[in-house]
Amino acid sequence: MENELEFLFAGFAVFWAALFVYLVLLQMRLRGLQREVETLEERLAEYEGASEPTPTTATVTSQPATNGEPGAATSSPADA
Amino acid sequence: MSAVATPTPDRSPSFLTSALRGLQALFLWATLPLYLRRWTLLPALTGVGIMALLVGAVLAAPREVIEGDVQRLMYLHVPSASVGTYMSFFIAAAASVAYLVSRDLRWDAVARSAATVGVMFTVVTLATGAIWGKPIWGVYWTWDARLTATLVLLLIYTAYLLARSVAGPNDEQAARYAAIFAVIGILDIPLIHFSVNWWRTLHPQQIVIRPDPALPGEMLLVLLISAMAISFLMLWLIALRSESEQLIQRTDRMRARLDQREPA
Repeated sequence: MENELEFLFAGFAVFWAALFVYLVLLQMRLRGLQREVETLEERLAEYEGASEPTPTTATVTSQPATNGEPGAATSSPADA
Repeated sequence: MSAVATPTPDRSPSFLTSALRGLQALFLWATLPLYLRRWTLLPALTGVGIMALLVGAVLAAPREVIEGDVQRLMYLHVPSASVGTYMSFFIAAAASVAYLVSRDLRWDAVARSAATVGVMFTVVTLATGAIWGKPIWGVYWTWDARLTATLVLLLIYTAYLLARSVAGPNDEQAARYAAIFAVIGILDIPLIHFSVNWWRTLHPQQIVIRPDPALPGEMLLVLLISAMAISFLMLWLIALRSESEQLIQRTDRMRARLDQREPA
């Protein structure tokens, strides 16, 4: 009986551990990527600002429009 | 050389392409409401579902007479295999077909995300199966047809992810070959599913996915709740991963733009 419960606990522990590790790694990756996107956007804006003497709109419109297709959303998981 | 072009039959769009586009539209129409609420509705549904899975599996479901409490692992193992693994790889294959038809790299990102989640669920399936198998069969692992075919599935999609990660995220040729590989890889799933019927295996035969499920009502209900919970979890994880894959594609495109502008 005790042995059975140990196996049951081990099975659920594996599931939770896999899920937790996966989510932590994903979160770290998303944060890193969002920082990289911000840095790249700033650098691109600097180059575009330097190459174009006439001021354009201040907003960097690199976010794709939301049209319901996969990847079209502008929101990030961190916004949820 | 004649300047007049030789007449060619009009092959576009072919029936197959039209049918695939129709299926793609149908898939989008069916999943769009959930997809648009993926950061609000999906995590909530996943949280409630996982709580219901835990309560159902540990407290509500009756104790199995022969196997005892360890049989409660069924509520994690079976949905991880039949929903988490099969459905993730099915989504990966469907997104790969959508990529081959549309050549839109966002589908490639969805395919890679689904394959990653599928690999995670396959590992969970094999691990929980091994832990369940030890007290029942006496061994953690045996070269049984179903177990071996599942291990082959894990290797197929691990190879797919490794091969795809070597190439750049916006490499269209790599995406094309990877998509074909993902579609071919899905053929292992019927082999896994029917292996218990085709060969003598230690793994038990299907008790749920058949005309007369051989489970008592309470167990079947908990199993269905668990399957719902795992399907919400799978969809949420795929959505999260897709976001990261699309960010990678975006940074890659931005780096390419910067490389064009920066002096060598």
